Amino acid sequence: MSQSSVRPLDLIGIGTIGLRSRPGRTALTAIGIAIGIASMVAVLGISSSSKANLIAEIDSLGTNLLQVQGGQSVLGESSPLPVSSQAMVDRIPTVTDSASVIQIATKVQRNRFEDEPNGLSVLAVGRGANKTLELEAASGKLIEGETASLPVAVLGSVAAERLGISRVADGVTVSIAGHNFAVVGILKPLTLNPDLDRSVMIGDWAAFDLLGVDANPSTIYLRVRPERIEATRPLLARTANPKAPNEVSVSRPSDALEARAKVDKGLQQLLLGLGGVALVVGGVGVANVMVISVLERRGEIGLRRALGAKRGHIRSQFVIEAATLAGIGGLIGAVLGSAVTWAYATRQGWLVDIPVTGLAYGVGGALLIGAIAGLYPASKAARLDPAEAVRPHA
Amino acid sequence: MSVLRLERVCRYYESTPPVKALHEVDLEIEAGEMLAIVGPSGSGKSTLLNVMGTLDRPTSGRVWVDGEETSDMSDGALSGLRSSQLGFVFQGFHLMETVGIVDNVATGLLYQAVPKRQRRDRAAAALTKVGLGDRLDARPTQLSGGQRQRVAIARAIVADPALVLADEPTGNLDSSTSRDIMELFANLNQAGATIVVITHDNELADQLPRTVAMSDGQIVADRVKAISQAAGGVS
Repeated sequence: MSQSSVRPLDLIGIGTIGLRSRPGRTALTAIGIAIGIASMVAVLGISSSSKANLIAEIDSLGTNLLQVQGGQSVLGESSPLPVSSQAMVDRIPTVTDSASVIQIATKVQRNRFEDEPNGLSVLAVGRGANKTLELEAASGKLIEGETASLPVAVLGSVAAERLGISRVADGVTVSIAGHNFAVVGILKPLTLNPDLDRSVMIGDWAAFDLLGVDANPSTIYLRVRPERIEATRPLLARTANPKAPNEVSVSRPSDALEARAKVDKGLQQLLLGLGGVALVVGGVGVANVMVISVLERRGEIGLRRALGAKRGHIRSQFVIEAATLAGIGGLIGAVLGSAVTWAYATRQGWLVDIPVTGLAYGVGGALLIGAIAGLYPASKAARLDPAEAVRPHA
Repeated sequence: MSVLRLERVCRYYESTPPVKALHEVDLEIEAGEMLAIVGPSGSGKSTLLNVMGTLDRPTSGRVWVDGEETSDMSDGALSGLRSSQLGFVFQGFHLMETVGIVDNVATGLLYQAVPKRQRRDRAAAALTKVGLGDRLDARPTQLSGGQRQRVAIARAIVADPALVLADEPTGNLDSSTSRDIMELFANLNQAGATIVVITHDNELADQLPRTVAMSDGQIVADRVKAISQAAGGVS
């Protein structure tokens, strides 16, 4: 005797007939799943948009900025770079720009009578700094050419704020080691080098002449041809300080920022967890509706058994129905979540980055949750005694 | 060969004392027969129909459908038997209201993996056979009770089963519609279908060539009408 069988495509048709005949109930049940998926997609989408935006910002600033710093010797003494180090580094063909910066061990104040600690540092910057660090003046101008030997200063954005100077005007000075320096410019914030925001820069010649500073650079900043960064990096320590390459540290400021973009995970996970809870509640809703549906459709189940459906066919019908129901919710949720991401990111002026794999996982997860939610009602339906199920009920 | 054979079939329901819904029932139905099973409610008619239709298994005794013994068959094999050899008509029609009548009838072939096109073609043919050839586009909700029962009958015969089992097919219909339905069964029987009709309506049963009367789970009478016998004898 041949067993009864159903074509796979027909099985899907059977599995969705219950949904098609009760569209209102289908929509209401799908909403629960939709909310869960939408919130998860939105959380992922918004955070990845924000990350994409930050990375794009870093890229626009240039990831080809490298930083060479004198470090410490094995004995713990500070080991500045040789005076000639900038010139040496400049000879590497892949280096396009460079600038040396000398950290001066002194304080900067609004005037010579003040003595409050303000956490600001004083830097002597040499030629090439404006270009290499992409310095831009928010107010006033930068130190250029001959002004490097004059007693003038440019303030980092945070330094300006702490010193109480909001814009450049005639007669505004700061006091560095007892000397008055005229403030000629205030810098825009530097995303790649936030340390420099807390510094006051003076020309290197002014530092040598007026303050008697040593010419050993503390840090050399350099721009490298972007495709040659990894090849250039290992050469730098040896080139900058051939006598003690171990004491030189080479870093890439954009790396730190990129790492920061990835760190902000805690809140994201909390929100994802909340979305997961909504999803589980939605799944319970699906199970609930399916149990009711099985009770209501005893007659249909009995009829199908009489027409030759095996228990497995009935079970598949209800599992497919539950999975489809949740899958519809998942799709609605994915669309909703993407829309929220788009709206939020656009409002923030970010790049819109909708995580496609996240969407696929969302819809797939919804299908899975639906199928799991459908297992119990489906096995209840499959176990119904056909003779009992076809009996007319009051 | 008989289409259906029951041998000492019992169906007891567990309770104290046990309910003997069927007790030691012997029955044989030949191909091409049309018979009524009558009896008051609670006499075991519906249980008998469920056992004949393999929807219910007997507590003891044996059932043959189209020559195959069913007591050792798995659920899957019984389902296969139902899909190909048995057609059911229920009092409550059991039609899907959201799909058209052709698709309703085509459901009768769904579990035999017949391709959709072929299912619909055969469904349309079956609907024409029951007199609904001009209403193929209708939905069940657009039809009268009698027409709906015709749709259900079309669904029962669409797979050309060896045996059609009808449980109170006229229970929800007025008397003139009931007569039409019985006439339809008679016509289908003329065309070769073997049909068992369960009814509590003796008048209706009397029109059929054979009447099996049940009481308290047992067959108390099995009459074959003289007329039909005579008609058979004259020719």
